[in-house]
Amino acid sequence: MRVGIPRTLSFFTLYPLWKPFFEGLGVDVVVSPESNKALLDEGVRETVNDACVPIKLFHGHVAALKNKVDILFMPRLVSLDGKHTLCPKFLGLPDMVRCSISGLPEIIDFRLDLKKGKLELYRFLYRVGQRFTASRAKIIRAIWLARHNFSRYRKLLLQGLTPQEAFNCLDTGYEPQPEKNMSSIRLAVLGYPYSLYDNYISVGLLEKLKSYGVNVVTPEMVPERELKRMSKNLPKNLFWYYSNRVVWSCMYFLQKQNVDGVIHVTAFGCGPDAMTNKLVELETKYNPRKIPFLTVTIDEHTGEVGVATRVEAFVDLIRRKKGMV
Amino acid sequence: MKISFPYMGTSHIVAGYLLENLGHEVIHPPVPSKKTLSLGVQHAPEFACLPFKIVLGTYLEVVEMGAEVLITSGGCGPCRAGYYGEMHKRILHDLGYPVEMIVIEPPLVEPFDFFKKLHRLVKPKGYINLVRVLRVAWAKMQALDDLEKTLHKLRPLVFAKKQLNRIYDEGLEAIRRADSVKEVAVARKDALEAMHSLPADHHYKPLRIGLIGEIYVVLEPFANFDIERILGEMGAYVHRSIFLTNWIRDNVLAHGEKDIRAAAVPFLNEMVGGHGQNSVGEVVRYAAKNFDGVIQLAPFTCIPEIVAKSIMPAASKARGIPVMTLYLDEQTGQGGIETRLEAFLDLLRQKRRKQEAS
Amino acid sequence: MRGYLGIDVGSVSTNLVVIDDDCNVLIDVYLRTRGQPIQVVQEGMRQVEEAIKGKNIEICGVGTTGSARILTGVIVGADTVKNEITAHAVAASHMVPDVQTVLEIGGQDSKIILLRDGIVVDFAMNTVCAAGTGSFLDHQAARLNIPIEQFGELALESKSPVRIAGRCSVFAESDMVHKQQMGHPVQDIIAGLCDALVRNYLNNVGKGKEILPPVVFQGGVAANVGIRAAFERALGLEVFVPEYFHVMGAIGAALLAKSAIRGKGRTQFRGFAVSDMEYKATSFECNGCPNLCEIVNISVNGEVLARWGGRCGKWETLQKTG
Repeated sequence: MRVGIPRTLSFFTLYPLWKPFFEGLGVDVVVSPESNKALLDEGVRETVNDACVPIKLFHGHVAALKNKVDILFMPRLVSLDGKHTLCPKFLGLPDMVRCSISGLPEIIDFRLDLKKGKLELYRFLYRVGQRFTASRAKIIRAIWLARHNFSRYRKLLLQGLTPQEAFNCLDTGYEPQPEKNMSSIRLAVLGYPYSLYDNYISVGLLEKLKSYGVNVVTPEMVPERELKRMSKNLPKNLFWYYSNRVVWSCMYFLQKQNVDGVIHVTAFGCGPDAMTNKLVELETKYNPRKIPFLTVTIDEHTGEVGVATRVEAFVDLIRRKKGMV
Repeated sequence: MKISFPYMGTSHIVAGYLLENLGHEVIHPPVPSKKTLSLGVQHAPEFACLPFKIVLGTYLEVVEMGAEVLITSGGCGPCRAGYYGEMHKRILHDLGYPVEMIVIEPPLVEPFDFFKKLHRLVKPKGYINLVRVLRVAWAKMQALDDLEKTLHKLRPLVFAKKQLNRIYDEGLEAIRRADSVKEVAVARKDALEAMHSLPADHHYKPLRIGLIGEIYVVLEPFANFDIERILGEMGAYVHRSIFLTNWIRDNVLAHGEKDIRAAAVPFLNEMVGGHGQNSVGEVVRYAAKNFDGVIQLAPFTCIPEIVAKSIMPAASKARGIPVMTLYLDEQTGQGGIETRLEAFLDLLRQKRRKQEAS
Repeated sequence: MRGYLGIDVGSVSTNLVVIDDDCNVLIDVYLRTRGQPIQVVQEGMRQVEEAIKGKNIEICGVGTTGSARILTGVIVGADTVKNEITAHAVAASHMVPDVQTVLEIGGQDSKIILLRDGIVVDFAMNTVCAAGTGSFLDHQAARLNIPIEQFGELALESKSPVRIAGRCSVFAESDMVHKQQMGHPVQDIIAGLCDALVRNYLNNVGKGKEILPPVVFQGGVAANVGIRAAFERALGLEVFVPEYFHVMGAIGAALLAKSAIRGKGRTQFRGFAVSDMEYKATSFECNGCPNLCEIVNISVNGEVLARWGGRCGKWETLQKTG
């Protein structure tokens, strides 16, 4: 039995939970290849025009998996923190995929809605487990493995590893030390994990910044309790899980980490980001230090050159501002 | 304090009446125009939807006219519109307008907050007055909806379509002026009688079109190029899925619309915010009622309607009802909309002719 | 002989055709609109009049289509005013009776029309900018300094088309310049542009549409053999380009006029004299009520011929009394 997991959207948040869980059930996990041109083209062909790039890319990943697995795992993610939902496109995703792509294998699309309580995650996993085995003990053991692995993953992210580095670390045990360049500038790069950590769609933005000798911080490096503290700053929070984390971590980086600049990576046509981007912009603008702010919009036509030019100029601007050149 | 509010369809008549009679000085928002839109576009985020931009434009117009307090509805997501009050406030403050924004959250979700805000609005004239004013306002709202439904029904049948528009507009004005339940009833009756008295071909069987989509662009003619009028004058009957009265009944006073959502379940088994799931459900319902076609109106970048649109082809095919989606934004041109509507009606006429022949 | 005149006034080109009772095309005229629909219609009428001189053709019906169809209909006295989607579908199914898919690419817009058993079942028009239309090609041809007429032939010479990205023509252009700098031969770049246009078209206008044969490709861009080949590559189907591909909208309008006349008997055609009259189109905003309707006003030799655009009909009725 092979279960397919698309390498995008919630992958960078939840894969370390799913993988040991399925393996514990004795199921092979197949992950779609890293995003590439052919995969994106396929997604663009299948998806409704007006959708954002990440949704198109997801369709491409599903198409790449559909003939290689017996079951596609794309749970309907409704709420991951018990308070806020995900973007409506996540909520309708299984239905969108079913209506757009033909010849799909069996799909597991149980709802995961933590608004129903903290235990809902375990009930969800148990339901999924029942699809594969009748053995209660086996499922419970798989859940335990998943939980253990997942909390190790979260710790690694807090230490400053990227999701890919953390995956490697969990597999091999090798823990790279995140290089810190003390003399350099520190930038907050905000955005959704599926845009930031997908090297193809972000046209290698994080790598590029590191190659300029910039210290990069991202929302995944902010502890939960700090995010929670920041959430009290807004009279009304946004409705979406990932968007809130972007706004809260922006406030955290501005208030607690003295970042020199903020880059917001947003996908062309992203609905929640029309709000998120403005909030982040106003946060930087009304910060007493007037933090430089750059929006990088990515889409299926993004050229590497265009992004590089803007980011390079932005870094230069900050260096100048700090009197480093 | 001078109060104003967003403009949407005929709702301004009711909102204006309510606030004025609760004892407030009201700045009546002007009918949205190209100027409203360009003001909104200038200051809104690029990918915000059309309703966001038009409403922001209206706010900018009314604050110039002296409004100090803006009243709008809130929401709890996942549609973006629920956050618009907060976002508009921040943008207005950023532009240097120190307005106060009263965002009324749904009473079923935030009862305490709702009554706190309500109390502030009601205080000047007290609660006994509120009861009277609410009764008149509700009567107005029902009368407005009745007029509009009659307008939709008669438009394809009446010969003098422009005269019908005029009588309707006069009816709106009479309802606006009415100051008691009785006066509203008289205004309603007069307008309906005048509309029905126009010579019409009652044997004509017009194409029947269901109109669905996001509430603001469905209800506000400026946002949708007055699509109901265009279709009606082309000889089609338009059934609109959303009216103010039923919307308030289902969304503010009680959690309604369960049957519509149930109809959507085979295709879209989740609330995706806004009117996304309703849109899919309405298609199923219109097909069951043997409508000729459905037109979906969606603001460009509207998240729930994008989800609905990607599911629409499957629903349309399974239930055998043509669906056309029109995206609306500041770039949309009237000519393109008219061409599509004309061609869509041609398509439906041919389909009906073929069905009748077989 | 009885003739039927069809006029298609689009944003880029204006076409006029005359067909006979057996639907043969007798005359076809192709002009650039240049943003002056009235003048170009008058010029077209002059040319048609010239062409039918001495041929004993009597115009028995007139149909208009295209974005300026209402205006043109008023000027010439049309018997039928139809949108261009229906007109193109009518013409295509007349030329190829069992057609199931019509691809139409014009100067500034493009459409796809699906027919089953001779009736239109679905259609779409472009919603984004020019990257899927003719002006995209015109622009790039000018940029490469190659006459647009040779574009298609050159594309066919390419062995490996380069991939050119771009949602809109401006970005496509910068990508093209980039590819030029990398030293790709011009043939491969042109073929790449053809592929890009077809890809944009299929991903935008053709999204989710079931494209079944026979496929008819029409509109000005159908002259380009490179685009036709790119379509055949992308669809894996043979693509048929009708003889009068560039004036199909006008042919559709003429066919519609012919059937309209069968229903009502007499034409409202105002005669070829319209080409010498002085027409004026103006518009104003009516301040009579808060609706602020934009009223279009057409006058001939200083006299109001027609008005439209109002909600209450107050301006439209003036036309009949005054």
